[in-house]
Amino acid sequence: MYHYNDFDRDFLANRNAQFRAQVNRRIDGSLTEDEFKPLRLMNGLYLQLHAYMLRVAIPYGTLSSAQMRQLAMIGDRWDRGYGHFTTRQNIQYNWPKLKDVPDMLDALAEVGMHAIQTSGNTIRNVTADHFAGAAADEIADPRPVAELIRQWSTDHPEFQFLPRKFKIAVTGSPNDRAVTKAHDIGLRMVRNDAGEGGYEVIVGGGLGRTPMIGKVIRDFLPREDLLPYLEAIVSVYNLLGRRDNKYKARIKITVHENGIDTIRDKVEAKFAELKPLFSGVDQQMLREIEGHFAAPEFRTASTEAFDDAYAADPVFRAWCDTNLSDHRADGYAIVSVSLKKHGATPGDATGDQMRTLADLAEAFGHDELRISHEQNVILPHVHKSDLPALHRALKAAELATANIGLISDIIACPGMDYCALATARSIPVAQEIAERFEELKLEHEIGPLKIKISGCINACGHHHVGHIGILGLDRAGVENYQITLGGNHTEDAVIGERAGPGFAYDEVTDAIERIIRAYLDVRESPEEEFLDTFRRVGTEPFKAALYPKETVDA
Amino acid sequence: MPEAALDFADEPPEAQAARIAELNDRYRHHGATSVLQGALRDPQAGKLTLVSSFGAESVVLLHLVSVIDRRTPVLFIDTQMLFTETLVYQQELAERLGLEDIRIIRAADAAVAKEDPDGTLHQFDTDACCDLRKTRPLQTALKGFDGWITGRKRYQGTSRAALDFFEADGPDRIKVNPLAHWAPEDIRAYMDENRLPRHPLVAKGYPSIGCAPCTSPVAPGEDPRAGRWRGQDKNECGIHIVDGRVVRRSEPMNVIVTDAGFRQDDWQGNAVLDLASDTDPNTVDLSAAPGLIRVDFPSFADGRGFTIARQLRLRGYKGRLRAHGHVIADQYAMARRSGFDEVEIAPDLAARQPEAQWQFRADWQRGDYQSRLRG
Amino acid sequence: MPRAFTPKVITANALLEGDVVYLTKDDLWTRDLSEAELLTDEAHADIRLLDAEKRGNEVVGVYLADMTAGPDGPEPTHFREDFRRTGPSNYFHGKQEVRG
Repeated sequence: MYHYNDFDRDFLANRNAQFRAQVNRRIDGSLTEDEFKPLRLMNGLYLQLHAYMLRVAIPYGTLSSAQMRQLAMIGDRWDRGYGHFTTRQNIQYNWPKLKDVPDMLDALAEVGMHAIQTSGNTIRNVTADHFAGAAADEIADPRPVAELIRQWSTDHPEFQFLPRKFKIAVTGSPNDRAVTKAHDIGLRMVRNDAGEGGYEVIVGGGLGRTPMIGKVIRDFLPREDLLPYLEAIVSVYNLLGRRDNKYKARIKITVHENGIDTIRDKVEAKFAELKPLFSGVDQQMLREIEGHFAAPEFRTASTEAFDDAYAADPVFRAWCDTNLSDHRADGYAIVSVSLKKHGATPGDATGDQMRTLADLAEAFGHDELRISHEQNVILPHVHKSDLPALHRALKAAELATANIGLISDIIACPGMDYCALATARSIPVAQEIAERFEELKLEHEIGPLKIKISGCINACGHHHVGHIGILGLDRAGVENYQITLGGNHTEDAVIGERAGPGFAYDEVTDAIERIIRAYLDVRESPEEEFLDTFRRVGTEPFKAALYPKETVDA
Repeated sequence: MPEAALDFADEPPEAQAARIAELNDRYRHHGATSVLQGALRDPQAGKLTLVSSFGAESVVLLHLVSVIDRRTPVLFIDTQMLFTETLVYQQELAERLGLEDIRIIRAADAAVAKEDPDGTLHQFDTDACCDLRKTRPLQTALKGFDGWITGRKRYQGTSRAALDFFEADGPDRIKVNPLAHWAPEDIRAYMDENRLPRHPLVAKGYPSIGCAPCTSPVAPGEDPRAGRWRGQDKNECGIHIVDGRVVRRSEPMNVIVTDAGFRQDDWQGNAVLDLASDTDPNTVDLSAAPGLIRVDFPSFADGRGFTIARQLRLRGYKGRLRAHGHVIADQYAMARRSGFDEVEIAPDLAARQPEAQWQFRADWQRGDYQSRLRG
Repeated sequence: MPRAFTPKVITANALLEGDVVYLTKDDLWTRDLSEAELLTDEAHADIRLLDAEKRGNEVVGVYLADMTAGPDGPEPTHFREDFRRTGPSNYFHGKQEVRG
């Protein structure tokens, strides 16, 4: 875990004092709303449908138990006793009052957290693999470099008023859990033939109105060149990116319109100018940061208790089979705690649940928690012998849902229930689908399947890369939902194909069920997952199920 | 109504080029009215139509055409996504100007049913929507004409800087641009002098008006008054050069902000290099640069000036560097860290954000992560 | 023919609280849609909007929202306005909670 030093603390105190003053100046009229808006956005404060919303960064998704407890306290004291974890490793509070926000920010600063650059046309919270530092398949922990980028991008004077928002993700594992190809910049930690560490740099990916898969701008960037190279990319984009049309302002369009080769030439030229300005101090700081992320002292113990419980208790076994992932240390597991109880709002956790998770992280998880872009909470380091006790405690807190990676583990943006940009609701659609398949008891038979729902074209719910994607639109004043099929968010990222005409709000769940029935019909065996079946048979069987002949002819 | 045969169908490209060159020669020194008058009657121009969006500035050309010949065909593309205000304005204007041949063109129903059955195409592919609802219907409608009259103007962009009155539009048609030489002031003045009705959405802050889903009053984060402010600044800016000498006008003076607070402009040199926010800093000739460069901020949300300043410093510029325009107090530290020495703001902004608010960020070196990382 | 004018109310979010407010006949901001002034004349609506937009120290994001006349005052014609009037559909929060 990174621990703030005096510099970080002073910066944050100063920044919070600035924002407090800005709020006061807005209230006294010296700042107009037009001027205040980008300043509040830069500090994570939105104005949504029913209230303000504060988006707090959870850098690279990592939290300590003390931080989690503070998040719970903030939700209880200034919100309605809960928080919403997002697809960008943030937590959102849906009901703060303008005058309380400076106090909330001060409370966050007490535990080394902030809401800086969680919105606005600037470099956003840097995200990383939520299994970082624990995954068995990892080449290197991406969090130290993500922290370095956080420091470099924070309050960067050149990049606070970019053409549009700018998102960076880092993965240290070949199995990409950070969706790096759908980011403005994606960094994959790799080794060259000589065994030296560096980065593959991907630029111009993104979802939203014009989904694009990122392109490789540098296949091997030496470690020490990272910051000047990032600075070169963003600097080139700042001048070249379009400012006449917000739908064409993201770097994916800049890359698309100018061509990756032109962008690469400009970036390399700028990089050559910037490189000499970096003395190498950043690499010393990186090594210091790496020290903060040293692995905990894993213990060696018998896993007998685990094995016994696994054999004896089917509920525990089902939970283990879906919610555990391989850990790199012997006898350990990565535990994913589902925030997708059937019928609950995806990604929401109450203050009590957050405190429970903090207590469990302290008792069983080396004091670490992670937030995934799939809106779940992860205890990255749990010894298997502690799993039965952990599971009992989770059950008591209604946190033991065994559905990770299954059909009810749905990503959903807040949609029209909260978001001012939304064109339709997402949350109730997710709730209904989860409840339907729970009633049908089909979830485990279906196996791994990712449904992702966005309530507008901006695609916060990543619908383009869902195996089944659902996009809510406003069709002449009525909610209408378009379904896409075959998307994939991993290292083989693919944008899903639109299945056909949209469905009314009350038809969506039936439509999803028809897709699933078609899959169960055509799959070769229970081992063939939905996405594999889709790749083998294409869209036709699903289209036929979605749009039966008689309605097409009608 | 059957269309008359076209005069210039199947014209070889060389012949078309020669004809356009002749037309441009003939009307080189003419104003918009006589270019339009000539074009509508000149056999060499062929059969023309006016294509109008009935948008913010369209009334000028519509009025010019109505005065010359109200029977001129006017094509209006109804994308079926337009603002109600535009549809109402179109009808009112046609009536008021007495235009007798307005042709409303739309995408074919079959094409819409096939490509955009639920009217949501614009939400996920704006280009395809424009193609379906605008480009293709227009291309079809233009087939009956030798050329079309447009309202394009040189000032609208660098690619139009060399815009001629007459130009080729593919092998089969020409474009006539009577307003090529008009500046924004000319448009405003013409509308004022002829008391022409404005598009109702202009008053609501829409700088240009297209289809409802894809038009918003201003860019996100941009001050809707930025446009007005720009104009005002132009008139009020204190420094103008007449016969090589700096002349100060009597309007209120802009305020210069430095680490020490507000002061009057002390610049005594005789020239200032003003850079627009879309300048490529690598093309600025620094050997000829005077002692003061001002970089324009048309809106505080346009952050290009910060990168321009940094790049000028990277290239070795050591003179005074000033951020000029809509920079707000909260950006002072960013401006200083990017390489600016000072900020120049208009008096009304200085009144709203007084010295103390700028002084609050005078400690711009505090908490600078970037300098720390560069070492 | 100009299209008929749909009745509207003036709405915004309160600057300090952030919640949804509507403009009443006597120029007050109310939390309750039924108390809002229903504007049926376009010219009058435009003037009311211009005046409301000047009150940037009380509210944010003023606009005209389509409504119809109901037995208890203005009723939303679009589901977005219905959510703004009521609160989110997943929890009993927002206006529905305040009203009890």
